[in-house]
Amino acid sequence: MAQSDSAETIAAKSWLRHEIGAGRRLASPAIAAGVAQTALAIGQIFCATRLLAAVLHPTDHSIFLAAAGFSLLALLRAGLTILQERLAKSLGIGARRRLRGAVLSRLLSLGSAGLRGRHSAELTGVVVDRIEALDGLFGRWIPAAAILLISPALVVLAALLVDWRTALILAVTGLLVPIAMAFAGIGAAAASRRQFTALTRLQTRFIDRVRGISTIVLAGRAEAEAIALGVAADELRQRTMRVLRVAFLSSTALDLAAAVALIGIALRFAAPLRAGNVALIPTALFALLLVPEFFTPFRNFSAVYQDRMAAQAAAEGLATLPSAEPVAAIATPPIRTVAAQGVAIAFEDVGFAWSDARGPVFSHLSFRLPAGETMMLVGPSGSGKSTIIELLLGGVRPQSGRITINGAPIESVVPAALARLTALISQKPFLFAGSIADNIRLGQPEASDEAVQRAAERAHVTAFTDALPDGLNSLIGDGGFGVSGGQAQRIAIARAFLKDAQLLLLDEPTAQLDPATERDVLDALRRLTLGRTVILATHAAFAHEFSGRKLDLGARTLSRLDSVL
Amino acid sequence: MTEPGFNPRPPLLRILSLWRRQAPALILGALIALAALASGIALMAQSARFIGAAIAGLVLVVPLSLSILGVARVVLRYLERLSTHDATFRALAALRVWFLRGLAGSAAGGLGLRRAGDLLSRLITDIDALDGIYLRILVPGLSALMLVPILAWAVGRDSVIAAILVLALFVLIVGLLPIRAMRAARAAATAQTEAASSLRVAALDALTGLREIKVFGAEGRMLANIQAKEAGLFSAERGLAARGAVLQAGSFLAAQAALLAVLLIGGAHAPIAALIAAFVVIAAFEAVGGMPRAGALAGVAAAAASRVIAAAEAPPSVPDPADPVPLSAATALRFDDVQFRWSPDHPVVLDGLSLQLPAGARIAVLGPSGAGKSTLAALALKLAAPQAGSIRLGGVDLAQLSAADVRTRIAYLAQTTHLFADTVRNNLRLARPDATDDQLWAALDAARIADMVRGLPDQLDAWVGEQGAQFSGGEGRRLALARTLLSPAPILILDEPCAGLDPATERDFMTTLNLTTQGRSVLLITHRLTGVEKIDRVWRLQAGHLTSATF
Repeated sequence: MAQSDSAETIAAKSWLRHEIGAGRRLASPAIAAGVAQTALAIGQIFCATRLLAAVLHPTDHSIFLAAAGFSLLALLRAGLTILQERLAKSLGIGARRRLRGAVLSRLLSLGSAGLRGRHSAELTGVVVDRIEALDGLFGRWIPAAAILLISPALVVLAALLVDWRTALILAVTGLLVPIAMAFAGIGAAAASRRQFTALTRLQTRFIDRVRGISTIVLAGRAEAEAIALGVAADELRQRTMRVLRVAFLSSTALDLAAAVALIGIALRFAAPLRAGNVALIPTALFALLLVPEFFTPFRNFSAVYQDRMAAQAAAEGLATLPSAEPVAAIATPPIRTVAAQGVAIAFEDVGFAWSDARGPVFSHLSFRLPAGETMMLVGPSGSGKSTIIELLLGGVRPQSGRITINGAPIESVVPAALARLTALISQKPFLFAGSIADNIRLGQPEASDEAVQRAAERAHVTAFTDALPDGLNSLIGDGGFGVSGGQAQRIAIARAFLKDAQLLLLDEPTAQLDPATERDVLDALRRLTLGRTVILATHAAFAHEFSGRKLDLGARTLSRLDSVL
Repeated sequence: MTEPGFNPRPPLLRILSLWRRQAPALILGALIALAALASGIALMAQSARFIGAAIAGLVLVVPLSLSILGVARVVLRYLERLSTHDATFRALAALRVWFLRGLAGSAAGGLGLRRAGDLLSRLITDIDALDGIYLRILVPGLSALMLVPILAWAVGRDSVIAAILVLALFVLIVGLLPIRAMRAARAAATAQTEAASSLRVAALDALTGLREIKVFGAEGRMLANIQAKEAGLFSAERGLAARGAVLQAGSFLAAQAALLAVLLIGGAHAPIAALIAAFVVIAAFEAVGGMPRAGALAGVAAAAASRVIAAAEAPPSVPDPADPVPLSAATALRFDDVQFRWSPDHPVVLDGLSLQLPAGARIAVLGPSGAGKSTLAALALKLAAPQAGSIRLGGVDLAQLSAADVRTRIAYLAQTTHLFADTVRNNLRLARPDATDDQLWAALDAARIADMVRGLPDQLDAWVGEQGAQFSGGEGRRLALARTLLSPAPILILDEPCAGLDPATERDFMTTLNLTTQGRSVLLITHRLTGVEKIDRVWRLQAGHLTSATF
């Protein structure tokens, strides 16, 4: 597959390189434990050799000493195995905690404006699954790769102490492994990659069909889809096996190298032993037993190659997340807060585009909204209603013109102060798993029970919670009480009452509701908007329910022309 | 989730029985694996014999047999890798095809309607857990079985006591530890799955509400909440890993003890035989070192298997009649005094509902979300059956018709209608496999999406990404609508067809719905009307029955 790497792949590769470098430093204890395992194994082989020699030539008296040494080292190795496993787990956990924390902080600080067009389910996939898939890279692959460089050298060194020819045989066969792999043209890497891609593709198709099972059943296509899945899987298997037939030669190179080393060492000692050189027995046994230990790091490394592949796929998901703050330059004018005594807003000749490719959402948009008044934004979707709200949330900046809040340019207002001024109610309010009261407290975690109760009453939340056994403390979300669209919206209104912010941004608050429920919510909304500055993005029919200015972004006309700058 | 007397065998055996057609490949792979192991053992034994012979000063032509065994070992290992991978691929595919077929036939076939995406995700994870059964449980298990007589012979030749000791240690590794691991793994794996799912819920919650979290200054609290869930997952993982490490260490120590037993007990009588036995013991115990881990895997797989089997083999929620009546040519749909609830512990959804949809009629049903509008569709499509009253299609009670027949008469656009990771053409053809390009374009035109598709470089062959990711929400909705309109069924049930469309497109679509559905009956389910629809009757669904509504 001669494919040129996409920008994503390149970004993922450089990100991975950097992470592997950082991960290796943290992995030193695990690497040390692995190398210590090899050292202990060499010690054990030494004891085993003594033991074997004693068995073969019962003249030696140190048989129980050797057995004791062998047992002691075995216990130490068992302890080290447990330690190494724990260290590996901790490495994987530490890396996932760090990366997930970083990604989440970035997403939370970017906010919705910076992530426009990214589906929350897809982002959850990155935050949960992609980061989980990195566990093996940090916990297993990085230590195994480092141990592969150190442990075989240690074994060769041990061999060198007893017999230079054995050391030479080991070193040569060890070096032959990568050479043989390169000679086969496709290394263990390629084998794993093909296999990984093939399995991923089959799995993707399968998951897609399972998710759409109802659609398939209702279309009467279940049998056809099952057969098609079987055929696709079979084709995939045949293609993959053709590749693996060549690719597995590299694993065979490893087996071959081990066999060659074993036979080479056996032959090296055969002649002198046959000649009656009994003194060589321990050396010969020691050399022979070193062979499996020498190749263990190679085998461990090829066993974790899959983890490296999974990490590559995961890194591509991470690399596509927007990283830079969308607000490029920190504003130079002196940063200030705004008095909380009413908020007046003005757009002066504002132009904005989400990207150059998609063209401006609007240009030269001007309006002024005095404190305590309501402005309704109407117009077809895509005309910029949500964009105006995003601009006022401060997540994005206009490319031209300026937006002021109480006369101060919006970029000069401290983000936290801007957030303190503002409350937002959107189409589908954000509710998290917890109690209804917790959800109302979103902006004011320290608010008293009385304050929450008051806000809930004013938003008509108590109208439905009074019937629940736990009232406002009823749990909602995952496994809890299911709230309807209208109830959710009332919880969001209670949240805004509790926050008591001066600027209210309402983004199609009733778009998901049926007319009867809409009327219920309307009453609470009207009460909320009293005395506040309100920007309401909505459809035309709903706009009639409010008094105030109306900005039709589709026709770009402003009723009550006196407010046009 | 602790069930007393849990017995993992039946579900795993059921999964194995699915692989009957793949059995030759699986058996071939296992046999080659066993041969490779046998050659490995023989190589070790021969090496030991060679060393022993050399030490004893005997002249044997062993190096030749050593080389032959060495080559055989390398070749067999290569063949083992190929054949077991091939067999694994076959088994994976068979499992997935079986599951898809089973899911389609079982009650779960209607899952998507009830937004059970979470349940489906969990089942997919369960299927993954079954992938290791062959390569990581079955093949090592067979290897262990083969090694018992080899060990008994190799060690027992020399010393019976040593043989008994070694075999006891061997059984510890391949029997007792795996069974313990299997028991422990089930509960631990459930805890880990639950922790992972609550992490996912917390992350999805926070990422859905990014705007509000920012405005209400709750970033820190949301992050802390997710990290608390994450910590729960990590502690479950640590528990599993710690247990796995202890098992691994135990298996290692047992192998070392066996080696010592052979050398100390056997070595006293026959040194050369003891040497050979020692080498065989090393190779044999190395081959089964992973068995305790395989036991843990088997525990997880058994739990997963019982869930997967339950989902795939559950009887359909509405069984087909033993002797279905053929469809009548008439296509009027009527509900008479229908009473329905999803289960006895759920509230009544429909309470004495009657509705008539004569052939060619257009009827709208309005009502708040949760009032049971979509339930009407589920009942008409035989995804559920009423507890009382009757539903008739062309005058025949649905209970007498087969579900597949009913569904050829009714095309349904669900709120959760799925777009597949496939081309536009294949997505549309799901509704009508023999549709011509002209018919496809006509359906796309009717759904107001043809211009957009014409603008794509590949047009009908354009790739619709996973869950329609290449298209915006509104575009995906229109594509799904086009698929429904393409269906030749005489009755259309459209459940919120305009969700995600902007008002102008919605009006445009509704204005032309008359033309595009000429000659077909339409049941429009929606929470509000735009005012431009040409509808014969409008009903409001409230308190389980319909009342006439005007708009």
